[in-house]
Amino acid sequence: MISLFGKSAELQLEKDVSTRYLPVVIAAMIFLAALAIGGLFSLHNAIGNWSETLTGNLTVEIAYDPAADLDKKVAEAVKLLSETPGVTSARAIGKEETHALLAPFLGKNAALDELPVPRLIEVIIEEGNAVDLRALNEKLAGAVPGASLDIHRPWLNKMVTLGHSVQLLAAAIMLLIGVVTVIIVIFAVRTGLVMHAEVIQVLHLIGAHDKYIAEQFQNYFSRLSFLGALPGLVVAVIVMFIFNFLVGSLESSMLPPLTLEPAGIVALLLLPFLIALLTRFTVRLVVMRSLARMM
Amino acid sequence: MVRFENVGMRYGMGPEVLRDISFHLSPGSFHFLTGPTGAGKSSLLKLLALSHRPSRGLVTLFNKEVSTLVRDDLPAMRRKIGVVYQEFRLLDHLSAMDNVALPLKIAGAKDARIYQHVAELLEWVGLGNQIDAKPPTLSGGEKQRVAIARAVINRPQLLIADEPTGSMDAEMGLRLMHLFQELNKIGTTVVVATHDLDMIQRFGNPVMFLKDGLLTTRGPEKLPRHFSENGA
Repeated sequence: MISLFGKSAELQLEKDVSTRYLPVVIAAMIFLAALAIGGLFSLHNAIGNWSETLTGNLTVEIAYDPAADLDKKVAEAVKLLSETPGVTSARAIGKEETHALLAPFLGKNAALDELPVPRLIEVIIEEGNAVDLRALNEKLAGAVPGASLDIHRPWLNKMVTLGHSVQLLAAAIMLLIGVVTVIIVIFAVRTGLVMHAEVIQVLHLIGAHDKYIAEQFQNYFSRLSFLGALPGLVVAVIVMFIFNFLVGSLESSMLPPLTLEPAGIVALLLLPFLIALLTRFTVRLVVMRSLARMM
Repeated sequence: MVRFENVGMRYGMGPEVLRDISFHLSPGSFHFLTGPTGAGKSSLLKLLALSHRPSRGLVTLFNKEVSTLVRDDLPAMRRKIGVVYQEFRLLDHLSAMDNVALPLKIAGAKDARIYQHVAELLEWVGLGNQIDAKPPTLSGGEKQRVAIARAVINRPQLLIADEPTGSMDAEMGLRLMHLFQELNKIGTTVVVATHDLDMIQRFGNPVMFLKDGLLTTRGPEKLPRHFSENGA
């Protein structure tokens, strides 16, 4: 670590004005990267949760009909479903529970009793059992007028596709951040090479290898990147906490909170080291190539 | 030791600043290099110091032809060459001791050995009491002696000095030339580029005379009495 972050004894890169703002730029990049990672992992978790919840989970909807005895219809449907092979359970969802499900969208004070709310039955399919859902739907509609089977799959598929698209976008943002960081570092290093050309020439003439000079640039720029990354990461974590707090305080939010799980936390903690390594590799490449053009 | 055969040199696509240069320096010799301003002395020194490659011809240093050297060979070759610049080229933020120690440090010598040698050498050039001084606090003559110490700390086989006495008074210049003579006596090949014809006459060593990019070797007695303002 000492050699990784050692000072540039001869080149005095620490005194360069041109690189003074590099940590600020790196901090901004790491802030964006950390948020992208947060989004990436949160979406991954959310998609997993949606799939887990909705796979093998069906809903039977019995349309609102003021003239019909809805409780009787529900009982008939539950009986039919419970007797169907492959169905683990069929549970009628009570009025109050239905109202609780609607509350996030309509508000707690909405006059739900006055609305034509359909009656719902939660159906759990036995794991690994292939129930013919189309046949079941037809059978149900014949036995209980107004009943229909909602298998959630089309909605889930759309949500999963959306989730994956946003994940791809987050990954693309990460890539873009990496590319921009590399370009900024390249410009800063080239400026440094020009500013210190005379000392570099002296070092060469007294027998310095290119890698001796490159190491001074590598150490200095890695240190700048690492030190810039830390505040960027801290601010991003604070922003994530604030976001989660705001999401939690919303009554009818469809937004998933930012949840990272261990893999996401490790990815965030690795960010400063990865940016330092990326900088080190970039600087070495640029310096070695530039020095190779000298005698 | 050093052999130039029909060497030419140009900067970029510009005209040749050195043309058909051929000479041979035997080990342990002492040569002056002189000529009017713009004659190509600095360019010739750049070729000797391996800071530039020739445009044509063969340059052989320490029995190796320069054009055949790969990049990784250059540092080891350069450690056999000590260069003293007119403008010193010391690192201002380093002390005299650290400036002189730099070639050893770069060569990977151990710290204890480095500082023992450096202290002895600074004593030898008369700067034993200035080892912690930084270049901006030193006089021109003192800076030049630090530069000389840095050039010889690696015990180079070839020592090149570009106008080493240009920035100091005659007495200090003479003392520096005696330092070069001492180094020459212990086997170092020395090339000193200078405009100072009186000094060349005084020391009597062979002279390489450059004019309009062409080189001739002659005795000090066959030099012009002075160089004119326009470099003729």
